[in-house]
Amino acid sequence: MTSTATSPTPLSAEAAALATGPAEHPLHPAHTPTGQLAFGAFFQGVNSSTIWRLPESGDQVAWESFESLIRTAERGRFAAFFLGEGLRLREHRGVPFELDVAGRPDAQTLLAALAAVTEKIGLVATQNTTYNDPVDLARRLQTLDLLSGGRAGWNIVTTDNAWTGENFRRGGYLDHADRYIHAEAFVRVAEQFWRGEEIAHEGAHYSVHARGDLPRSAQGRPVLFQAGASPAGQDFAARTADVIFSPHGGLEAAVEFRRSVVERTIAAGRDANAVKILPGAEIVLAPTEAEAEEKIRWVRDLQIGPEQAIALLEQYWGRDLSEFDPDGPLPDVPPEVSESGVTRGAGFQFAKAEELTRSWREEAAEKGQTILEFARVKAGARRGSFSGSYETVADRLAEYARLGAIDGLNITPWLIPSGLDDIVDELIPRLQERGVYPDEYAGSTLRENLGL
Amino acid sequence: MSTTTPQTATRAETAAPGPTRPVLAVDLVTDPALVGRFAALARRLEEAGAGALTLSDGGLHPIHVAAHLAPVTRAVGLLPRTDAVYVEPFHLATQLMSLDHISHGRAGWLVHAQTDPSVPATVGRSPLDRAATAREAADVLETSRLIWDSWAPDAVVRDTAGGKYLDASRLQYADVEAETFSVRGPAITPRSPQGLLPVLVADADRAAAGERVASELADGRVLDLDLRSGTDGALEAVAAAHEEADGPVVRLVRVVGLDLGADPLGPVPELIDALREQGLIAPAPVVGTSLREQLGLPPAPYHPDPVRRADRARLTREDHS
Repeated sequence: MTSTATSPTPLSAEAAALATGPAEHPLHPAHTPTGQLAFGAFFQGVNSSTIWRLPESGDQVAWESFESLIRTAERGRFAAFFLGEGLRLREHRGVPFELDVAGRPDAQTLLAALAAVTEKIGLVATQNTTYNDPVDLARRLQTLDLLSGGRAGWNIVTTDNAWTGENFRRGGYLDHADRYIHAEAFVRVAEQFWRGEEIAHEGAHYSVHARGDLPRSAQGRPVLFQAGASPAGQDFAARTADVIFSPHGGLEAAVEFRRSVVERTIAAGRDANAVKILPGAEIVLAPTEAEAEEKIRWVRDLQIGPEQAIALLEQYWGRDLSEFDPDGPLPDVPPEVSESGVTRGAGFQFAKAEELTRSWREEAAEKGQTILEFARVKAGARRGSFSGSYETVADRLAEYARLGAIDGLNITPWLIPSGLDDIVDELIPRLQERGVYPDEYAGSTLRENLGL
Repeated sequence: MSTTTPQTATRAETAAPGPTRPVLAVDLVTDPALVGRFAALARRLEEAGAGALTLSDGGLHPIHVAAHLAPVTRAVGLLPRTDAVYVEPFHLATQLMSLDHISHGRAGWLVHAQTDPSVPATVGRSPLDRAATAREAADVLETSRLIWDSWAPDAVVRDTAGGKYLDASRLQYADVEAETFSVRGPAITPRSPQGLLPVLVADADRAAAGERVASELADGRVLDLDLRSGTDGALEAVAAAHEEADGPVVRLVRVVGLDLGADPLGPVPELIDALREQGLIAPAPVVGTSLREQLGLPPAPYHPDPVRRADRARLTREDHS
């Protein structure tokens, strides 16, 4: 970690108002900020966040795209490289969704290859506990951890819907309410495998008998990430995970989330600092604030086209809205579903459509927004809010670090493979100057580089 | 397999005549003690003229070790030997086609049907008898091909004017209803460079995999040369396999039993030179050659099946409107 910090800048009024304790424990008496940030690079491969319309938009499956991005991330001393996973191709109104990037290689197979061309960066695979077998997955994760010299991580997800289950032997066997109970048992089996123990698990849905037969890796076991922000998800993380990959970007929300996680971690009998928090973020940078604002608009325009704006609304309206003008007001027709589920695999289909669509119509009417404008704002709001000039973003992030609101960011580049270039070349040196970002890797395992 | 599901590729197409000289492969066991040495070994074997590397399960997952070797090698084929029975077919197919992407078309699969009675319990299953094991292996192999063949090569259209990244009419479901599992599809991974990965069966695995897999479904046979019994009869054995008129074509000659405790490559470079001098194996691979080409297999084009079109729900809606 760097020791070149200049004298600490006082907290802004907004940050100072959120602090409830002294500088050593600003947010919670038991939590001590490290004052440091760790970055992850998240190659999403789905969603509208990745722009595919530009000539410089790279191939989403080519080895060269992944190799180029991870080399940039390692040059920027990123702690981790993340890959997502979706076990069924996303569908919209019963047809594979055509408007966003889609189709990715298997995360762990790809990370095993990337381990051969990198030295320090962590390699984190999103893997599901409902549609994997714990011993098979534990062996694959341990293989990655050994091949990479202790750089593997597992982002634990619990997708359980029967629609995804149609690709797997057990089908939709798990109740949504039981997903974390099952996930916890699954993780216990994996941990037994990593410790080289005899496994005799008699579960509610299946039994497993095996024995761990691989040596420990340089970091002992893969680092565990967890991505569910619901209370049940937070409790699961507090008991099980090393890192929470959270959706909270704004300062106040981040502070609230930290306090919640700290409380739950203590309640689970662990140290208050045991669980790191890395919110997902999109970063749009420019030399000046004015240029950054212009650039954000340009990025949003490229991310959300008229077709995607209509599709976004169709997800919640549950019906064909293609006759509506993207440049006109929001549809004045009621939704056709009570539980929206028209885009499968998108992860947010449980909001009450009736209530939501009404409030959206009111919101858009009040702001005078068209369908397209509204969709661009909505999509942007989901992506975190660390955009601006190099200096202001560096200042804001330094404040997050000093307050201890977050331990870093998991950054989704909006362009592949060049989307990290300005972050590495412009933002990181400024964070290093402010003493909140490492000049060098702390070690060669992911555990070390996350400060665990 | 369900009779409602047409075959992706029939044996008549995959076994078209090509160069009959097999590719020389060297087997590496995925022993965790070799971590840190795999890359150097793979490079030296490639320099010594090996046409392919096979990865046998020694603890580390063979598909991941094969992937790890892809960026450090340039032209050799990479063929993990993995089970087709006590696995999730969808995961297995995805992992193998991903290896093909990562290696730019150098991936293959040495299919194996697990008969170790301790394995089923590791995935919560009961052991299948011999006949059911062979049926399962056949079902998983056919399913893998349907998953690999579920995206047309031109499915990613990047149509900026129409706002479409991909064209769902160029995707198809797998729609598999097999004896013990079902898979909907399409793949979560776009079509890989080879489309269909070459699938081979080692002679030693033939009995467990069953006749249907070994003789009807696979793309060829693998003849093993075990270094532990010396290299004396090696040339004769390969020559004799050439003469056999019946049964599947020998596509791969696999050197097994490398003693990594001793001189790592041992007699392998000499053996490769001798076999090649006699014209008994294929020439060393050229960068940019797919494994299918190396093995003398024809390209595997996309087989669209109108019944399985991934946009059928939209077509149905349009029919009714």
